[in-house]
Amino acid sequence: MQFDIGGNPHYGDLTVSLGAGESLWTEGGAMSRMSTHLELKTRLPGGLIQSAIRKLVGGESLFVSEYTAESSGMISVSPASPGSVLQRELKGDSLWLTAGAFLACTPGLSLRPRFGGLRSFFSGEGVVLMEASGEGDLFFNAFGGVIEKEIEGGLTIDTGHVVAWEPTLEYRIKGMGGLKQTLFSGEGLVLEFTGRGKVWVQTRHVSALAGWLTPYCRG
Amino acid sequence: MEIEILGKGAFESALVHLQPGETFVSESGAMYRASTNVDIDVTTHSRSSGGLFSGIKRLFAGENFFFSTYSTDDGQQGEVGLAPTHQGEVHVIEMDGSSDWLCAGGSFLGASSSINIDTQFQGFKGFLTGESLSFIKASGQGQLLVTAYGRIVSTQVDAELTVDTGHVVAFEDTLQYTLSKAGGSWFRSWLGGEGIVLNFSGSGRLLTQSHNPSEFGKILGPKLPDRSA
Repeated sequence: MQFDIGGNPHYGDLTVSLGAGESLWTEGGAMSRMSTHLELKTRLPGGLIQSAIRKLVGGESLFVSEYTAESSGMISVSPASPGSVLQRELKGDSLWLTAGAFLACTPGLSLRPRFGGLRSFFSGEGVVLMEASGEGDLFFNAFGGVIEKEIEGGLTIDTGHVVAWEPTLEYRIKGMGGLKQTLFSGEGLVLEFTGRGKVWVQTRHVSALAGWLTPYCRG
Repeated sequence: MEIEILGKGAFESALVHLQPGETFVSESGAMYRASTNVDIDVTTHSRSSGGLFSGIKRLFAGENFFFSTYSTDDGQQGEVGLAPTHQGEVHVIEMDGSSDWLCAGGSFLGASSSINIDTQFQGFKGFLTGESLSFIKASGQGQLLVTAYGRIVSTQVDAELTVDTGHVVAFEDTLQYTLSKAGGSWFRSWLGGEGIVLNFSGSGRLLTQSHNPSEFGKILGPKLPDRSA
């Protein structure tokens, strides 16, 4: 299996060469081009209930698509939003992703939804997280460019700008200030990280773009 | 006629240099600059293809009802700048008349007036998924301008290739294609969120775009207010 990420930072996508019998798991709808003979199966990562939670609260697809090459073949997948595609090899460790950041992975990784807590539920930001773990390659995407940051101590980041982080970091979802500020400041929720580890931050925010566009939408 | 591609990557546009007597046709609304001696006319069709009905067919292809045509009115040279709606690349296809080209809805930006433009329906499967099911067919000799959301990848297809309809920009009609699902059954394709795909076979050139505007629309749309509000 060979990976090629092209087009970063504006229009990143992922092309994978599959050997005989090899598969790739992708986010539903992400396939752009592939060898005609690839076989598609739909899978529920982590089982039906976990997948349903992921779908309901996180707006992610319920299923991941599994593409398998009987002989050899290729497949390209692209994220819904323009931006960068990133790769991370997991060796028994894990990585936390925010909703929408998952693009693809090698089969067998465990993809578990993690609920962001009650506060996230009321803020309208729908903070749903995914924990990817196991052994294999994980591909994730960001809206805009990506800043990789090593945290030592602490850092606060707007939830809409967080793409992924290492589980060695402790995190807490909170509002900027109290409930009033959370609801009205426009800053929404933030993730407060403490400890040591790496975090990936995206330079654009889909909700912010939608917020700007909203006054221009007519009924 | 000479066409210059301005910008690079995400924000490309086309600058068409017109010689006296030359005419260029574009999507209406695509012009963003023109020299003052350029005369702009609006039609529902290009060249010989038939009148009002062409305009209606084009609406179904996700294109504009009208074409704009540009020519200089003073016997001098002129220029017209054309910009696409989406962020992405613009390509010039040099057509030598040996094969026709098909453009997916929305990817047609313009063409020399020597090129005949027609609309081709692809059947009704597309209505299920809300994806475009019509192509703009360009035939003749001249230059064809296409646009994309993101990067354009040009592939010489020699055997088979499957492409999601949302990623097709344009292809030579020497390629055969069938509308299909990404795999398994229609139900599975729908469950997996995979739309309609085109299975290409034969030999010819194919342009695809790195990103699918509908997929971006799907993540942006839910964050916008209701249409009725």
